Amino acid sequence: MDINKNMKILLVDDFATMRKVIKNLLKQAGYNNISEAEDGAEALKALKSEKMDFIISDWNMPNMTGLELLKAVRADSGLKGLPFLMVTAEGLQENVVAAVRAGVSNYIVKPFTADVLNEKIEKIIAKM
Amino acid sequence: MEKYGFLVSLIEGMVSDFLFIDGREIDIITAGKFLNNLDELIKEADSQNVFQLKKVVGGLNSLLEKIVLDDIDDKESGFSVLEKGITLMQEIGESFKNTSGYEGDIESFMESIVSLTGARVLEEVVEASTKEVQPDEIIDEIQDESLLRDFIIEGLEYIDEIEANLLTLEKEPENLDCVNTIFRPFHSIKGVAGFLNLEVIRDLAHCLENLLDKVRSKELSVSSQIIDIVLDGADALKALIVKLQEGMEGKPVEPLEIDLAALRKRIESIEQDVPDTVEAKKLGTILVEDGVITEENLEQALETSGRLIPPKKIGEALISKGSATPKQVSQALRKQVGQAAETAVIRVNIKKLDDLIDMVGELVITQSMIRQNSYILSNANRRLNRDVARLSSITSELQKTSTCLRMVPIKQTFQRMCRLVRDLSRDAGKQVGVITEGEDTEIDKNMVEEIYNPLVHMVRNAVDHGIDSAKERIKAGKPEKGLVQLKAFHRGGNVVIEISDDGKGLNKDGILKKAVEKKLIDNSQDFSDQEIFKLIFLPGFSTAAKITNISGRGVGMDVAKQAVEKLRGKIDIDSVINKGSTFALSFPLTMAIIGGMIVRVGKERYIIPTTAIRQLLRPLEESYNIIIGRGETINVMGNLLPLIRLYKIFGIEAEYKNPWEAIVVVVESENKSKCLLVDEILGEEEVVIKSLGESLKNSQGVSGGAILGDGNVGLILDPEGLFELSEI
Repeated sequence: MDINKNMKILLVDDFATMRKVIKNLLKQAGYNNISEAEDGAEALKALKSEKMDFIISDWNMPNMTGLELLKAVRADSGLKGLPFLMVTAEGLQENVVAAVRAGVSNYIVKPFTADVLNEKIEKIIAKM
Repeated sequence: MEKYGFLVSLIEGMVSDFLFIDGREIDIITAGKFLNNLDELIKEADSQNVFQLKKVVGGLNSLLEKIVLDDIDDKESGFSVLEKGITLMQEIGESFKNTSGYEGDIESFMESIVSLTGARVLEEVVEASTKEVQPDEIIDEIQDESLLRDFIIEGLEYIDEIEANLLTLEKEPENLDCVNTIFRPFHSIKGVAGFLNLEVIRDLAHCLENLLDKVRSKELSVSSQIIDIVLDGADALKALIVKLQEGMEGKPVEPLEIDLAALRKRIESIEQDVPDTVEAKKLGTILVEDGVITEENLEQALETSGRLIPPKKIGEALISKGSATPKQVSQALRKQVGQAAETAVIRVNIKKLDDLIDMVGELVITQSMIRQNSYILSNANRRLNRDVARLSSITSELQKTSTCLRMVPIKQTFQRMCRLVRDLSRDAGKQVGVITEGEDTEIDKNMVEEIYNPLVHMVRNAVDHGIDSAKERIKAGKPEKGLVQLKAFHRGGNVVIEISDDGKGLNKDGILKKAVEKKLIDNSQDFSDQEIFKLIFLPGFSTAAKITNISGRGVGMDVAKQAVEKLRGKIDIDSVINKGSTFALSFPLTMAIIGGMIVRVGKERYIIPTTAIRQLLRPLEESYNIIIGRGETINVMGNLLPLIRLYKIFGIEAEYKNPWEAIVVVVESENKSKCLLVDEILGEEEVVIKSLGESLKNSQGVSGGAILGDGNVGLILDPEGLFELSEI
């Protein structure tokens, strides 16, 4: 699979440690170009000011949740094609279905390994 | 059949999407699209009564959800059943189009759906255990001590936050936002703990998260027991994290003193708990208090009633022993019930209350439509007229009563502010006292949260900028300790909240100089005192010489003003140098209703908020002037006010183009006045504000819509937005 490992990934989570965890996993999978945002609102701001290639977002965040962010991205003509990977907790199946209906590219259930994360990213990019 | 055209086209759309899937696996994005298509299809099938299709679509829906959730082991057969279902839909659609019916068999398809999706309960249990990520695997992935350290620090911060929010929740049990702010950190802690393989922490956080989720979804209501348990849970989590920290620092780790199993049991039991009922006095106690029986009688009776099989009720036991007559017992019983009723307060879900108030709003409008119906207006039936008048008065009483339901005293908000003053003055190293007045003044519950932030800004401003240092105060002959006063009262249809300080007052020259420096104004203009004071509300203005922890980041006052204006309120400032400043925030009592002037422009009706209207006039031809650089103006009592042609802004046709033939409404916003050109004034009315919905909510110049008494719809104008539009 030919994936540009230099693509710019926007990582959205309100918990700094969680961002660090996922960032480490991304690095293990070979992705190094990572931007971070604290919540959906911040993420949307970043997306408007800078070109991103991929979004990885948590679900439950203050100000703007991951689902709201997803909906805002899909409703924005400039952003709507962006690949969007939603991070959810186990056992929240209704969340997953809601995200899928809102046009999420794929989802990943916490906790996960670098391999699983990489697999999900590759799957999304392959479908583009 | 024309009737099924839409149905068939929906199905065709899905069929062609399906053909484009490469491989025998459906991806998430296509699945999402299909799920939405199926929703649409089910609605259409429902309205056309195509029940076979409904069934098939329902089956496909649950199949797709399972596929999306990766719940189907045999992916290949999952895909082929999907294929089968889509073909079947096509068949049914075609058949209905041609013959308005379908005779074929859908049961075999439904059976294959059930066998794929239904019989999974047993397997799921097995799978769950195999799915569990192996601990070693994760530990290998994250051999990062610094991560653990971050988690400890952030986790402990989060727990402190949880504690603070829990105390707020105890005061405001209905505040769902607050529940969410408590839920979220537990959720985050659980998530990271999962990655770091900290099972005990993860499980405890998970338990507490679940409990709070039940509160959030209103399965459980906030009670002091729940608050206690969550507080204990937070303590336990904290202790666990501290142990982790000690372990990392190489200190000997002693076993945890908290009994986690007992805590979990408590959580489980409260999750199944029935809501508290009003505690009534026991029947026996009432009888003793009334002197009917003695304590000994009661004890004996209790003993016997307990020993009997089946156990008898205490009343029966007393009667059978002859200690009390049936009449005395029934009186006491009635007393017991009455007592419960007296103390009973019903807690109502705010959503229900909002719905009720919304419906009352609708009722008011409908009532007014009936009253203004030409048939009613022209009829001579006295009885009908009397009944309509009665309907009106009852409706308006009902409206008043229902608005009251949502009113709460401002006390709680003030208490929060008092706390804030204490904390802020400590941080700022100043001595500041607080006095509150009018704590019982009631405001709309929906406004409590909305006014909180602007109030915080104002109070911060008073403590940080307003109150002078002890040295300066003594020099100015004032007591060393500063004073912040919070006052609330009703004035007209408004509630006014005043925040005063006895500090140094606003420095007019300083404000002007700053505003010029920041290029917010040019220094050539003359300003009145009021105008100078209002400069501090300009975005980017901050008077503090140095940036402090509390305020002075240049945000605050402008944000506060925006928040107040969003509530259709305004801020007035009064300030005397060295004596102090008073900021008066006034808001309409309720956010649901607005008094407005109904005007007509061409065929459209608009509502101008009465609070914004200064004057109505038909200008003379001479008072209309076009001034270079300022555009069209109307001379209103010596002031040249800009003219806004509403028909131009809204792109409609007006009856009159010349101001001297039409009517001019002078409106004020942000201390500026402008003239709105309208064709006719239709009257004044109280209207219930309806939002324009998600997609139109940002329309500038319009703040909402309303159904008028005559049944027509009108847009509510927003003067501030109109002014901005006219200045483009």
